[in-house]
Amino acid sequence: MSFDDAISNATKGATEGFLNWSSNVIKDFVSKLRDKKLAFIQDEKTIKLVKEQYNSGELAIYKAYIEDKEMLFLIKMGLTLRRLEKDKEEERKRNLRTKIFNKYEVRGLHIAQFIENGILNRYVGILIDNLTSIEKFKKDILEILNNIEKHVLFVKTEDDNRNIIKQILAVISSHQPMIFIVSGISSAAQTIKNCEKRLKELLTDYELEKMSDGQKENLFFKRVIKP
Amino acid sequence: MELISLKKVSKESKINLLKELGYSSDGEFVLDLEGKKVYDKYLEEIPIRINNMVILPGSTIILDDNELSLSKYLEEFGDVL
Repeated sequence: MSFDDAISNATKGATEGFLNWSSNVIKDFVSKLRDKKLAFIQDEKTIKLVKEQYNSGELAIYKAYIEDKEMLFLIKMGLTLRRLEKDKEEERKRNLRTKIFNKYEVRGLHIAQFIENGILNRYVGILIDNLTSIEKFKKDILEILNNIEKHVLFVKTEDDNRNIIKQILAVISSHQPMIFIVSGISSAAQTIKNCEKRLKELLTDYELEKMSDGQKENLFFKRVIKP
Repeated sequence: MELISLKKVSKESKINLLKELGYSSDGEFVLDLEGKKVYDKYLEEIPIRINNMVILPGSTIILDDNELSLSKYLEEFGDVL
């Protein structure tokens, strides 16, 4: 029995306007569920979005270089956040961010945000510019994802200029990363813009590459290799 | 795979569906046969509400309808939906 048949066989609840299924309809559905021919969902849009990320070309590229399953899952979550942002599904995006945070803590959320904002794609581009071997390339991608707090500062709305500059100098002084990224959206993006000039003056061993997109601001500080 | 939305299905029908599958409900949450809340297998802190449940094949998996749980399901069972 198809869903349309079920609808025609069902009686509409007089007061609620919801479908009522007879016991026979339910038994038929359950039989199909057990035969793996049917699934009960809420919104088809959610399934479609999830399947799109499952089959995405961008994910397929990362699968070629990253074997860690949890990392690949967080990349998938980042792609999903990006899609929700594109579709202007603010509430769903907020809910998903909360779920990622609850399951994978702040590090997992930051990895997903790193993908969402397109930073990993640009980071990979910078790595390719200086590619020496595939093995090193794989190692470098995993290094940044596994140690994201040493390579990226995600600026929050409540951060002020002085605090941001202090944090960046502390991380760079401790870890001396080849690439350090400052990332923020909305009001945090403006805060980053306000800090840009001072950071350029202070980080003399680094050259700056900007990636701005509407409400997002990402500053890539790339260490200059001196001859 | 036939996909049936539970969005416009009455609470009573959803409870009867759960009973047919060996579960029950207090009208708000999905319960097991002992009357305990059933939690999303991929997000253990989320008790599943009947107004936001999905029921998927694979030994009858009941999950909360969210992108993370559904992505995890596809990882475990493949692109079956």
